[in-house]
Amino acid sequence: MNAFYERHKEEIERILAKYPPEHKRSAMLPLLYLAQRDEGYITREAMAQIAEILDVSVTEVDGVVGFYTLLHDKPGGKYRIQVCTDLPCALRGAEQFLHQLEEALGIKAGETTPDGLITLEEVMCIAACDKAPVFQVQTGEGLTYYENMDLEKTLALIAEWRKKHTKTPEGNSS
Amino acid sequence: MSQQVTLTIDGKQVTVPAGWTVVDAARVANVHIPVFCYHPKLEPVGMCRMCLVEVGLPERDRATGEIVRNEDGSPKIRFFPKLQTACTTYVQEGMVIRTTTEQVARARKDILEFLLTSHPLDCPICDKGGECPLQNLTMAYGPGTSRFPYEYKLHLEKRVPLGDLIILDRERCIICGRCVRFQAEIAEDPVLSLDGRGRATYIITTSDPPFDSYWSGNTTDICPVGALTTTDFRFDARPWEMHQAASLCNLCPVGCNIMFDIRREPELGGRFAVQRVMPRQNEYVNEIWICDKGRFAAYHFAQYGERLTQPLVRENGKLRPASWREALERVAQAFREAGSGLVTLASGRLSNEDLFNLARLTDHLGGRKVLDTFLAGGEWTDKVGLGRESDLAALGEGDAILVMASDLEEEAPIFWLRVKEAAQRGATLVVANPRPTKIERHAKHVLRYVYGEEGKVWEALLAGASEAAQALARAENLVIFYGQEGLDLATSDAVARAAARLLLTTGHAGKPNSGLVAVWPRNNDQGAWDMGFRPVADLADTLRQVKALYVVAADPAGDDPHLAAALEGADFLVVQDLFLTETAQRADVVLPAQAYIERGGTYTNALRRVQRFFPAVPPPEGPQPDFAIVAALARLLDLNLEGRSTAKGFEALAAQVPAYQGLTYKDLARVEEQFPLVSREVLDYTGTAYPNGQGLGVVLPNAVERGETVAPPEAPEFPVRAFQGLLAVPITRLYDRGTLVAWSDTLAPRLPEEAWVWVAPETARDLGLQDDATARLEIGDLAYTVRVRVNPAVPGGVVLVPRSVGVVLFTPVAVHLKAVVPAS
Repeated sequence: MNAFYERHKEEIERILAKYPPEHKRSAMLPLLYLAQRDEGYITREAMAQIAEILDVSVTEVDGVVGFYTLLHDKPGGKYRIQVCTDLPCALRGAEQFLHQLEEALGIKAGETTPDGLITLEEVMCIAACDKAPVFQVQTGEGLTYYENMDLEKTLALIAEWRKKHTKTPEGNSS
Repeated sequence: MSQQVTLTIDGKQVTVPAGWTVVDAARVANVHIPVFCYHPKLEPVGMCRMCLVEVGLPERDRATGEIVRNEDGSPKIRFFPKLQTACTTYVQEGMVIRTTTEQVARARKDILEFLLTSHPLDCPICDKGGECPLQNLTMAYGPGTSRFPYEYKLHLEKRVPLGDLIILDRERCIICGRCVRFQAEIAEDPVLSLDGRGRATYIITTSDPPFDSYWSGNTTDICPVGALTTTDFRFDARPWEMHQAASLCNLCPVGCNIMFDIRREPELGGRFAVQRVMPRQNEYVNEIWICDKGRFAAYHFAQYGERLTQPLVRENGKLRPASWREALERVAQAFREAGSGLVTLASGRLSNEDLFNLARLTDHLGGRKVLDTFLAGGEWTDKVGLGRESDLAALGEGDAILVMASDLEEEAPIFWLRVKEAAQRGATLVVANPRPTKIERHAKHVLRYVYGEEGKVWEALLAGASEAAQALARAENLVIFYGQEGLDLATSDAVARAAARLLLTTGHAGKPNSGLVAVWPRNNDQGAWDMGFRPVADLADTLRQVKALYVVAADPAGDDPHLAAALEGADFLVVQDLFLTETAQRADVVLPAQAYIERGGTYTNALRRVQRFFPAVPPPEGPQPDFAIVAALARLLDLNLEGRSTAKGFEALAAQVPAYQGLTYKDLARVEEQFPLVSREVLDYTGTAYPNGQGLGVVLPNAVERGETVAPPEAPEFPVRAFQGLLAVPITRLYDRGTLVAWSDTLAPRLPEEAWVWVAPETARDLGLQDDATARLEIGDLAYTVRVRVNPAVPGGVVLVPRSVGVVLFTPVAVHLKAVVPAS
């Protein structure tokens, strides 16, 4: 079939088996997460290969990637810090928090730190308004919520990640 | 008959079939519910919220289930507390809809205010201005002002080419998704998608090739704003500057009903010129769609081609201008001398009126009527073609369709659509073709055969043993399409006979919604057969022996060098055409004809529906309509033919040709209410397609219906080809380099630039050819340089050669294909 299929053959077959063959496009989201695990984002090649596996057009795959904020079509950091700045969170200081964090990290929302560790992102409601400032951290492993945060706690968290990733000289562990 | 439901919309009672949406029911009740995302040909999605209405249902007693009644006995109506989208609400018995309340008016105003927050309001330079649903609905229902801060307006790309033919203006797009859904649901070529969300939602295509669907132009009709425009019409004219002329597309045998939009054109010296082609509704033929070939090439040849403007006669070996009188007298004299040695070679591009006059003139002299085609079987489509009143939309559950030897979307895109829709309604589709084609996605049975072994398929079908054969035999209605895939005259004749035999022996002949359809190469081939023109097995041989040859709307010399050589044998050659073709350059007399957009007439499509087209633009000075030229010529030969008008010509034809007996232009002009109701006043509902006020045409009775005895033909002998090596097989592609489409600048980027062929990967390997390699294709004494395209869908051992793309091939033959080593 193609390289993506060969790389994850068993897992892809397991996913496809969950859906009726005539509706195999339903497997798109699981396959996209699989692809995102590979590179931290979904490459154009992966989209084309998923389109081929699911017998849909690559534009359709692209549209799905574009719709879901947890699917990324551009490379980012190992940790994506996604700060909610919707109205209730903003009322609890989320915007100031984001600005402080931007300043501390030296990047703007949407950018990645030079060491490739962190991407800062602004997101819409993540359903924890009462615990703002709040953010979720997306990694290849999934999502983790951090509630009632401030700059200090956040920087401590980041320092921990940094330590974890400088331990191995390749810097490639996860 | 489906179940009917009665509901009340703004106090009007309306009865519609169950399953209809409230929007459709309101349209029929003449109550306007404004829409953007809803389209009656697409699945409803309720995205734009423009159609919000108050919906009420009869209240039922919870305990008894009885309808609760008011004091006056009328059912008590309970309204939903919130407004509902009329496009996703289906009609129910007793439903009450209110569209004129304060609440509804407020909702419409708010939705429009939202939509306009980022709309550029560049109506004065927008192609859609004047026929724009957003403009119209804003005027009718919108707010006069916006509360939205101007600086928050998004500024987006104004010119995003989605392909060669369609340009997207992101600012104007209101994200209704009609284009996306059209490509997915109707064209089945989902190369458009919505990307992102909220205010950052955009239409995208990231496919390769991008938006190059054969159907792309239709998205500009249903786009409710000026976001999608065609490269053909972009910035060309304003809708209100143009007047309309009803016509038919003449590029394939579907006969799509179209409308030419016409305006004086400065670039053409102020002449009246067609500015664009729009679909005109005919639910029996093209619904409200047309393919891109028709939209972007149906008139260009007439308007931009290098037209003949005066008769030419040969003197001292050279063609020189002459008067009509001189030219016709020369022809008349030559024809008189030739007598039965006259051969008239005409093509199915001509109208019925032209062909009838040509046939009469030829018969008068005892000459021979020859049809320029590679597809036979027209006498069988006349005998057992689709019956009177046939309607492809009526095919569904219990019916069956066989598509044999045809890449339907390539040969006649609208037939692909109609067959697909029938299959989606439940008709059993059987597809017999040597390679997979797009229509196969909907097939219940696929019969794969080897090119040249069409006979085996028919043997099995006629024996009735297979599951597919039984499905066809059992079907309530059976329609058989045969097309142009690998067929030549001899094989297509056998296919038509076999199909006729199947229809007759299974009791499917002579009734509506059953019958044989040939997917002809030309728009009016059926009419040409009906008027008595027939192909000949060896055209070159025939041409070599003629005393006088009258070539009308055909170009044998341009089609085939062998025919060009054969023309040398003709004592006297007359060519009647729009252009100085290869054949015309060899002629003794050349007669300039008017293009079909300059005159009227009728064409008979492959469904045998006779339809009328009308003069759209004034003819250039000089050329005459074909039927009138023939009539003038006939007068000199003491034969009285109708040359005054096509109406009179059709009358004469209807008096003599059995299938057309008694038909008049009045019959062809009959219209009826067709769903969806198309109107230029309610553009938001169906788009900018034109309604049909000019006539839906008439399906001819087949011979069985005319009371003639039609005995099943014997199971035909299929020609057997003994050959060794590689077989070259002609196929048809929509985008070719045919002489008519070649004049369209718009379509030019989509047309093949060079001759190409398809081969299977294993064939390419055996021949030592890579994909995209240049190769030498040797067919008999001719050789071509072709681009090799490796295609895994092509069976091994054959070279598929598209017709009219530079290689002359009318019948499958053994060939050589060799790699060309670059000279460097």
